[in-house]
Amino acid sequence: MYPFLYQRPTSLDDALKSFRSADDACYLAGGQTLLPVMKQRLAMPSDVIDLASIGELRGFTVAQDRLSIGAMTSHAVVAQAAEIKSCIPGLSHLAGTIGDPHVRNRGTLGGSIANNDPAADYPAALVALDAVIHTDRREIAAADFFKELFETALEGDELVVRVEFPLPQKSAYIKFPNPASRYAMVGVFAAVVSGAARLAATGARSCVFRLHQMEQALDKNFDAAALAGHSLSAEGLTVDMHASAEYRAHLIGVLARRAVDAANGRGSGS
Amino acid sequence: MNRVKIGQSVPRVEDQRFVTGRGRYIDDIDFPDQAHGMALRSPHAHARILSVDLSEAQNLSGVLFCFSGQDWADEGFGPLPTKSAVRTNSDGTDFKEPPRSCMAVDRARHVGEIVAFVVAETRATAIAALELIVVDYDPLDAITDPVAALQPGAVQIWDDIPNNLCIDWDLGDKTATDDAFARADHVVCLDLINNRVTAAPIEPRGAIAQYHTDSDTYTLHNATQNIHANRDIFATNVLHIANENLHHLAPDVGGGFGAKNGAYPEPALVLYAARKVGRPVKWINDRSESFLSDTHGRDQVSRVELALKGDGTFLALRTDSIGNLGSHCATVGPFTISGGSARTQGGPYGFEAMHYRGRGVFTNVALIDPYRGAGRPEASYQTERIIEYAARKLGFDPVELRRKNLIPPERLPLKTAMGLDVDCGNFPHVFEQTLAMTNRRSYGDRVTKSAASGNARGFAISPYLECTGGSPKEFVKIDFRADGQVDMSVGSQSTGMGHETALPQILASQLGLPLSDITFTQADTNATPLGGGHGGSRGLELGGNAVFQVANAIVVAGKSVAGHIFDLPADQVEFADGRFFVPDSNHNLSIREVIDASLDADHLPDTIDPQCMNRNSTFERGIISIPNGCHAAEVEVDLETGRVTIDGYWVVDDFGTIINPMLADGQVMGGIAQGIGQALLEDIKYDPQSGQLLSGSFLDYAMPRADHIPTMEIGYYEGAPTKKNPLGVKGAGEAGCVGAPPAIVNAVLDALQEFAVDHLDMPLTSEKVWQAVKGNVAK
Repeated sequence: MYPFLYQRPTSLDDALKSFRSADDACYLAGGQTLLPVMKQRLAMPSDVIDLASIGELRGFTVAQDRLSIGAMTSHAVVAQAAEIKSCIPGLSHLAGTIGDPHVRNRGTLGGSIANNDPAADYPAALVALDAVIHTDRREIAAADFFKELFETALEGDELVVRVEFPLPQKSAYIKFPNPASRYAMVGVFAAVVSGAARLAATGARSCVFRLHQMEQALDKNFDAAALAGHSLSAEGLTVDMHASAEYRAHLIGVLARRAVDAANGRGSGS
Repeated sequence: MNRVKIGQSVPRVEDQRFVTGRGRYIDDIDFPDQAHGMALRSPHAHARILSVDLSEAQNLSGVLFCFSGQDWADEGFGPLPTKSAVRTNSDGTDFKEPPRSCMAVDRARHVGEIVAFVVAETRATAIAALELIVVDYDPLDAITDPVAALQPGAVQIWDDIPNNLCIDWDLGDKTATDDAFARADHVVCLDLINNRVTAAPIEPRGAIAQYHTDSDTYTLHNATQNIHANRDIFATNVLHIANENLHHLAPDVGGGFGAKNGAYPEPALVLYAARKVGRPVKWINDRSESFLSDTHGRDQVSRVELALKGDGTFLALRTDSIGNLGSHCATVGPFTISGGSARTQGGPYGFEAMHYRGRGVFTNVALIDPYRGAGRPEASYQTERIIEYAARKLGFDPVELRRKNLIPPERLPLKTAMGLDVDCGNFPHVFEQTLAMTNRRSYGDRVTKSAASGNARGFAISPYLECTGGSPKEFVKIDFRADGQVDMSVGSQSTGMGHETALPQILASQLGLPLSDITFTQADTNATPLGGGHGGSRGLELGGNAVFQVANAIVVAGKSVAGHIFDLPADQVEFADGRFFVPDSNHNLSIREVIDASLDADHLPDTIDPQCMNRNSTFERGIISIPNGCHAAEVEVDLETGRVTIDGYWVVDDFGTIINPMLADGQVMGGIAQGIGQALLEDIKYDPQSGQLLSGSFLDYAMPRADHIPTMEIGYYEGAPTKKNPLGVKGAGEAGCVGAPPAIVNAVLDALQEFAVDHLDMPLTSEKVWQAVKGNVAK
């Protein structure tokens, strides 16, 4: 690790001020990516601005039609909170599949989406659930938020404050974990939001994406059987030592059917 | 826990320390004024080193000392030698041992080889200094595949070793084998790969060296498994100092599995550095360095052939295996591909003849040295895979084919066609005992149930033959103290296996002493004059028998002390249940009373030495023990994704006498977990062009985790304690990962029967299985 200045602001304003006055600052949320990268000397921020003491970034609220989760809320809270489980079971299940208990107790929703790892789980949920990301200065629809490999719509100093999810009629997430890292080799989130079928896949490309053709088939009949015969092209999908593009394309089809089944209350995943 | 017996599941006394965070590992130790060392490792798999510029690093504030491979060579230090027991080729010529300098001097031969070393006030400064070292490399073509490396014109790792061939060795009767093949009704042949894996112990390697100016001696705290043998290598071979001038010891060691057996470069570097800077120098490998620089295991490419009679009787087995040794010979080096893999060829089955050829080949990857089993898992895999393959190809029931060919107990003792001395055992009994545990009667129901949810179910049974190894001598010393404590110092070494419980358990059981009175010391060249450390499942076979032997000697000495007190000849005194007594008399003393009397010099006659009950003992093995057993696995394959789940696991082991069943269970489970890792998950992968390690972190190297490990049903066959040692024990430490890989792979292939998949190489990743299913339409 290279030396850096550690700062721990207690308000959003102070965090932003600290960021802007530093040479090359980095926000620290749960640290589950940033800290290992710094330890390997692959990142050398001049300032690390720890968001842990900013109260307004923590916790969640459930309203009539929305769930709002603070950016600094840990995966463990999302996985375990009974209110979240009952209003968006697929989201709660997803949070419980991230990493291991250590990671889930440190890692946060805001940190995960701001990092936009192509194999992270949360982006699939945000896109499938049509969530809105509230930052210190604006609202960004999930569809516009996740841009490219490790890139989001956030400006350099912009901070995610909370994420608002419209409550779906159905939701489920099925993940096929990488056997080593347990990130998603492929993960598919299936949901019915405002009556429309929505499917998003993670782990398979440089960035999360929706499965539009499958969604159309499901709009008529939200049943796994409606996906029979639907296959995805392997073109453009990720290839690594663990899985070929062809295998990933195949898995997306399998997981999409299983996610729809789970959203319909058959099998696990929600 | 006061009175303990052999055969009792005594809970591990070391666990209180380990699970409450009070274990004392190498990085828990700090000496005053300690400096920190870090290695600069080659980023190239193969490159000439044109120059190493240390000047900027040396000028960094807080840097105490930097040295390059050339500096090291200029000091005249010797290379790390290989101690392989096999040292000649089939044609009688010597094997090729290239010099294994602790640092690359003019050429780096694998990614991770040490090019320079920095000592600084802090670890952070040492790391910063590494980035300031400028090395001018001239990259060369690299080769990682041992078969390709043997071809004419292949990249040469060593200029004077043609075709990169280290050793070409064989065992068995080639003529008789060829003859049996010529007259066989059936011959089957299978090419298979035993994947390269890494032990990945939870504690990485590390060491702290101290140099004592006054006495010109050194102390080395080292996370290693072989204190005495490695002391000799560092002192005699590398530093050229007397062995007694190096005090070598290990604190708690967090797992080794063979990867901490050998002598590595870094401890030698810190010994030198400690003398140069005049301060203790600590070095701790980080996890990324561990992947690059720990010795790996397995990595063999083999052709296996089996000759059978028309009725399925085995005639002969022929194995030709090529082992990827990496860039140099490690401490055991070419033994694994030669003797290590040859001895248990053919498993517990009868063969007229066998022939094994092993070739060890140099490539631009990390070194191979023992990893749990070191050759026996490879032999078991080769044997059991070809049998399963033959059964499928020739239409035999795999269970029946094995049953038919197991060596019956009435043929024991015998020497196998590989020359292994099998003294006792009951292979058919162990086989049937295992089979009986597997609920075969309801198997059909389980197959149907799996099929209903789109899964295929498979089963395999896999007997194994083991042989133990390691250093053939072991030492123990017992000192009774006046305060009631009993000091036990042993030369064998636990890296977590439970010797701290098992060895005192044997002494306490034999002498009737409370276990809690015994203080255990291991892994210290000052505590015992010799020691064989850890390796080859030798803990009980050598260390246990040394304790058993010393207990007997203590009883003999105690009888002379008791006889003096009773005023009777010692030969009238008997000993049982912790008491010395004379039958049909009132003469009866506890062992503690006799020990106390023996320590009371004032009241002893001159004829009795007051140290007479403080004994030591050296146990020397005659012939190695032959553990054996049988594994069985039931697996479920998700045909849509290819994911394999182990749904049932059964094992029966013949380890002779079981000292502590709970510890034995732990060894079996741990070995099977590592076998599952190799069969389904673990794979050290290098890029074939660049020689870069692709699976260089836990993000890409898949370890087995708790949810991969099934519930195991474990049984023992205790009807055949060996007479090769007084305790009747056969080594237990490696058997689990000898039996597990073929059981799992054969079970998966059984599940895939209808897809006509003949063979898949480990690890059976979900994609590999899916591709095999997809490519083969159901029959």
